[in-house]
Amino acid sequence: MMRPLLTVSALELRTRLRDGTALIIAVIVPVALATLFGLALGGDDPPLRATVGVVDLDRGPLPADVRREIAAAEQFKGVLTLRDLPSEQAARRAVDDGGVGAAIVFGRDFSRTVGAGGSGQVSVLTTPESPLAGVVARSLVERIAVMVESRALTERFAAGPAEPLTVVSDPLAGGKVDLSVYYGAGMAALFAFFVVGASFRSLLTERKLGTLNRMRAGPLAPWVPVAGKAIVGFALALFGVCVTWASSTLIFGTTWGDPVAVFAVLCAHVLAAAAITMLVASRVKTDAQADGVIMAVSFVAAFFGGSLVPIPNLPDALQVVALFTPNGWTSYALIGLAGSGDGLASVALPIGVLCAIALTAGGLAAVGLKKGLLG
Amino acid sequence: MSATLSCHGLSKRYGDVVAVRDVGFSIAPGEAYGLLGPNGAGKTTTISMLVGLLRPDSGGVTVGGVDLGREPLRAKAKIGYVPQEIALYPELTGRENLRFFGRLFGLPRKQLAGRVAEVLELVGLTDRADGKLDTYSGGMKRRINIGAALLHRPEILILDEPTVGVDPQSRKAILDGVEHLVAEGMALLYTSHYMEEVERVCDRVAIIDHGQIVAEGTRQELVAMVGSADKIELVLDGDVDAAFAKLRTVEGVLEAARTGDSSVRLLAEGGRYLLPALITAVEGYATVTATEVIEPDLEATFLHLTGSTLRD
Repeated sequence: MMRPLLTVSALELRTRLRDGTALIIAVIVPVALATLFGLALGGDDPPLRATVGVVDLDRGPLPADVRREIAAAEQFKGVLTLRDLPSEQAARRAVDDGGVGAAIVFGRDFSRTVGAGGSGQVSVLTTPESPLAGVVARSLVERIAVMVESRALTERFAAGPAEPLTVVSDPLAGGKVDLSVYYGAGMAALFAFFVVGASFRSLLTERKLGTLNRMRAGPLAPWVPVAGKAIVGFALALFGVCVTWASSTLIFGTTWGDPVAVFAVLCAHVLAAAAITMLVASRVKTDAQADGVIMAVSFVAAFFGGSLVPIPNLPDALQVVALFTPNGWTSYALIGLAGSGDGLASVALPIGVLCAIALTAGGLAAVGLKKGLLG
Repeated sequence: MSATLSCHGLSKRYGDVVAVRDVGFSIAPGEAYGLLGPNGAGKTTTISMLVGLLRPDSGGVTVGGVDLGREPLRAKAKIGYVPQEIALYPELTGRENLRFFGRLFGLPRKQLAGRVAEVLELVGLTDRADGKLDTYSGGMKRRINIGAALLHRPEILILDEPTVGVDPQSRKAILDGVEHLVAEGMALLYTSHYMEEVERVCDRVAIIDHGQIVAEGTRQELVAMVGSADKIELVLDGDVDAAFAKLRTVEGVLEAARTGDSSVRLLAEGGRYLLPALITAVEGYATVTATEVIEPDLEATFLHLTGSTLRD
């Protein structure tokens, strides 16, 4: 069956190359997207809203000063909400259940230790599910470090050199996420739907032409026409998202994180997008209907999945909805990778969910195709 | 001799509508078999079941001794299917279309170019082989459409209305080509609602109406079913409805059908001798402005068996 499969794939690829869509969707648009977002947004921190928990085990003057300074800081206005939590355990629970995106814990005797020129300890609790809140928490700690350093310098004249602040991160340290990476990844995730969708749409065009039935009447397995097109759609979409990634990295020097992990997330996303668009193709009657439904599904998944609007900027209810979209899991995974520098293991959950979405949608599509296009 | 294609008890239902009911026939090697019926009679549904596009609700199909239900790929490899529509890629050339389907149907790489050239020669399009399909005339597309089904040297060629919408010259070329293939020993299943094509090409004919085969046999056997009845065409001027009602009552008229606003077709014993009685019968209602008497043919048989004309 390999030869018929390759024959169908070769024709699909040739058709896409001949009409120029392969070049446009796999190279020109991804490079353009990466370039536009790089030029427009490169280097900025992402716009976000985050709730960060504060555990004050010190009860001294320094944490109170920190809170006052944060409340007065312009850069955090409308972005950051601080919530007091009674203990580190309560903070862990709040981070785990999503009550706060991250938490900062001032250790006991923090003010006294720092005042005496010792090393104060601040812990940061983050979760991979709220990488942007982790970024904010890290930013806060950096600010605290600056405050401590300046106090130490003031007292240095009287008491000698002070020890630096120690920050303990648990379990992940937040990092900087370039805004161009955020939106570049989001657009790549959205665009993957259109690219694979075009291949499945062509199945309906072939039904209209009669060539699908002609193939089905030939000595080849019924799944060959679908698989032949799916291979090309998947390959072009994956190539396109990888070109976006490569352009963003090579042209603007942005960091998407561990390459193996990023590639695995992109593969899983394209797989899920392929399965969903195949499901659409299996349920509609015409190629025009497929166009409309695939576009609607793509934009809905992109909106709720954070490809168009950053997930932290969505209301809480919609942030839950994001978890039902492949784009949501892809956004979480890619932002986490870009912000943390962690590897494949850190995105095992999003990849697993994306594969589960692909399996479910693919299974439903297979049933639909058997009853419809291939029935 | 074992049949190249045989089917038995084929039935297909869509909800409450029975599209095909208990259809069965067999085609011997080198035999040309016609499936004749009006649009909507069940020809295409029957063919879809024969080539494995539709799963029958009941019944079975055997191709070259291979059960289509049990070994679909082996059975399909013996069939050359020419669908009613031009099932080709308009953005490819004629040669590219043939190469694609040749590869898809398992033609060995070394034989592909040669076989494509042979088929192009057979359908008379060698000179235009490298033109894009969307620059071809309707008849040329039809010929490539047939050629794509011949590449893998099938044991049986199944043609579903292959001459719909083509010019007379292309129709002649198609029919000549089909006759040539049959003369070389290929079995043929030919469906059409063009009586004269079926009469010309086919050795045996089945008449299908409302999803059922109502008669089957050679042309002579089918025509004999009508007896010595002639087909009479009358053109009337006046109250055609009333005249038609009177004509049906004339002794000797076996069947009657309206074929246009002012024309009727009758099947009658000794038709030419009945003409005076027919003209007399419509007096007072209409005037007969033209008459034609045709000796028994398949169309007369069809009218006799189904009570309607093929183009009703």
